[in-house]
Amino acid sequence: MALPIENRKSKIENVKKSAGFWKETWRQFRRRRLGMAALIFVGALTVTAILSPAIVGTRPIVCQYKGHLYFPCMGYFNPRWENPIFQIDKFRKRYPESLKAKDPASWAVWPLNYNDPYRRVYDNEWPDRAGNPTRDQGRPNTLNWFGTDQRGVDVFAQMVHGTRVALLVGILSMGIAAAIGIVIGALAGYFGGWADFALSRLVELVLCIPTLVLILALLAIIEQATIWHIMAIIGATSWTSIARLTRGEFLRLKEMDFVAAARTTGLGELRIIFRYILPNALAPVLVPITFGIAGAILTESALSFLGFGAPPPNPSWGTLLSAGRSNYQMWWLIFYPGLAIFFTVLAYNLIGEGLQEATDPRLREGGRA
Amino acid sequence: MLNFLIRRLAIALLTLLLITFVVYGLIRNTPGNPLTQELSRLDPGKVMKPEDFERLNKIYGLDKPWYVAYGTWLGNLAQFDLGRSFSRKRPVVDLITERMYPTLLLSISSLCITYLLAIPLGLFASARSGKVDERISSTLLYMLYSFPSFVAALFLQLYFAVRLGWLPLFGMVSDNHEHMSSWEQTVDLFRHALLPVTCYTYGSLAYYSRFIRANMHEVLRQDYIRTARAKGLGPIRVLVRHAFRNTLIPLVTLMGLTLPALLSGSIIIEQIFTWPGMGRLYFESIRERDYPTIMGLTLMFSVLTLAGQLLADFMYAVVDPRVRLDDR
Repeated sequence: MALPIENRKSKIENVKKSAGFWKETWRQFRRRRLGMAALIFVGALTVTAILSPAIVGTRPIVCQYKGHLYFPCMGYFNPRWENPIFQIDKFRKRYPESLKAKDPASWAVWPLNYNDPYRRVYDNEWPDRAGNPTRDQGRPNTLNWFGTDQRGVDVFAQMVHGTRVALLVGILSMGIAAAIGIVIGALAGYFGGWADFALSRLVELVLCIPTLVLILALLAIIEQATIWHIMAIIGATSWTSIARLTRGEFLRLKEMDFVAAARTTGLGELRIIFRYILPNALAPVLVPITFGIAGAILTESALSFLGFGAPPPNPSWGTLLSAGRSNYQMWWLIFYPGLAIFFTVLAYNLIGEGLQEATDPRLREGGRA
Repeated sequence: MLNFLIRRLAIALLTLLLITFVVYGLIRNTPGNPLTQELSRLDPGKVMKPEDFERLNKIYGLDKPWYVAYGTWLGNLAQFDLGRSFSRKRPVVDLITERMYPTLLLSISSLCITYLLAIPLGLFASARSGKVDERISSTLLYMLYSFPSFVAALFLQLYFAVRLGWLPLFGMVSDNHEHMSSWEQTVDLFRHALLPVTCYTYGSLAYYSRFIRANMHEVLRQDYIRTARAKGLGPIRVLVRHAFRNTLIPLVTLMGLTLPALLSGSIIIEQIFTWPGMGRLYFESIRERDYPTIMGLTLMFSVLTLAGQLLADFMYAVVDPRVRLDDR
């Protein structure tokens, strides 16, 4: 009171600003070796997914053809991104020989491994490279690192290109689930009363039907389910735990003084829900979201394994597993994709575990492990 | 207490109505019906005559709109009649009881093994908390917990059935099961059940022992534990008699919540081992659009899930005198 204003101000500035919530969480998370290893693994997986056409494929990463530069490998992301000139010039997906034959001056930069996730590589398609073995002959070898499936399609190529689907399913379907769960939980928790009663019945409705059954029934309704449909359906069936947690947080937070303060200033309900309470409720919800990503990846591969996954040309880890089940002698069809699913699920679980310990002060002193 | 029970039961009944209504609408609106589904499985060249189709539609009640058919189903249910399976031509109740035993065989043996192993493991983990051996075992358990059960099922099949040839690949009994002596039959069943039970057990084992450890962690910080230690009790006695007893409450609650899982089985594990249980029945009935069976199973699981939740709350109050149900 006695201090002049300038003096007071400098005093406030002198106080060291304590770390914000996210900064503190990161500081705590970084100390956990397993969590960090898992984060690095997921990062590496993401890089693999983005660079998948450059790692393994039969289309050049970049090539010069008739005086122009092209990036045919982009066709792996979306068939339309492969320049139509290669179809007009009748390349028939065989780039090495076609490039040489149709334009001797052409050059190309090739992926690290010459193999295709969709089709078999034929004899001499690549100069002096033997074709992929078919049926149960494709044991892992120097050309096909993880072996080939019954049709002679390289397993390594399918797994690398399958990373895209796996990661996308995890993130997109959990994004959908988080959006549904947070909105429903927030409304139920904030308004209480009849809204809470009705929304809680909705949660129980989804909870009581076994998830896989619900997904199969929903998939049956959409006759030609694409991978996008599958992601939406997984998202639409896995939001219950998020909703319950958000509801609990809202029940607790809406009694707090800052909410009352916001209300007295005459702010709208929606604004209070999403701008004032939600940011405070987000931290505990983050943990089930991370675990949910692991769950979504698992559900997708289980669906593909049961034969309800994305239609055939889409390479998926679960599809490989189900191919392996039709011939147990081809152990490589089960072993490698199985490990890939395991490590990805484990990584997301470890990240979730690390987040849980980093955001929950009661668990903090445990450190590491 | 009575008030609480009545209120909860009324809510549960309402939820049940809602669930069955939604599921009925869902399955009746999926493309294909029991008749077309059955035909496509037989001979694609064999097409049913339109009048036959009409007649069967009428018999199965498929000619009415789905909400009317739901009403009929509900009416029959009130008379304890779940209807007859379309594709198997048998009462749904018979079908479910028949499939219940194989699933119970797996889930109950798995549950027993889990409890037998998880409690000592959890106690060990809390006794040696922070030590090297505990950290290694906990990390291993966590990895096991993250191991997807269907991947594990395939790996186990690959190693024990294909590579070593010790155990049968799938099925519940051998082909010549009927000609065996009763002792051989038991051994045969045991050999077939070993891999599926392992798949059911390892994940929940990891989950339960972590659960116990986490609860022990909480309890061990309480004052009465310090008191027990201070009055000179041995570490094992403190751990088992004073700490563990107090972690039984959440464990009991968890048991209530796992009730539906005991009967539901796992679609994917039963599918991999071609085990004739509930999970497979559900899966098959969805594929065959066998409406009465789907509805019967859905009803059963919903009742079990809701009962499990209610039981968990109820048990919580019974075991823990600090909890009063009326206060809610």
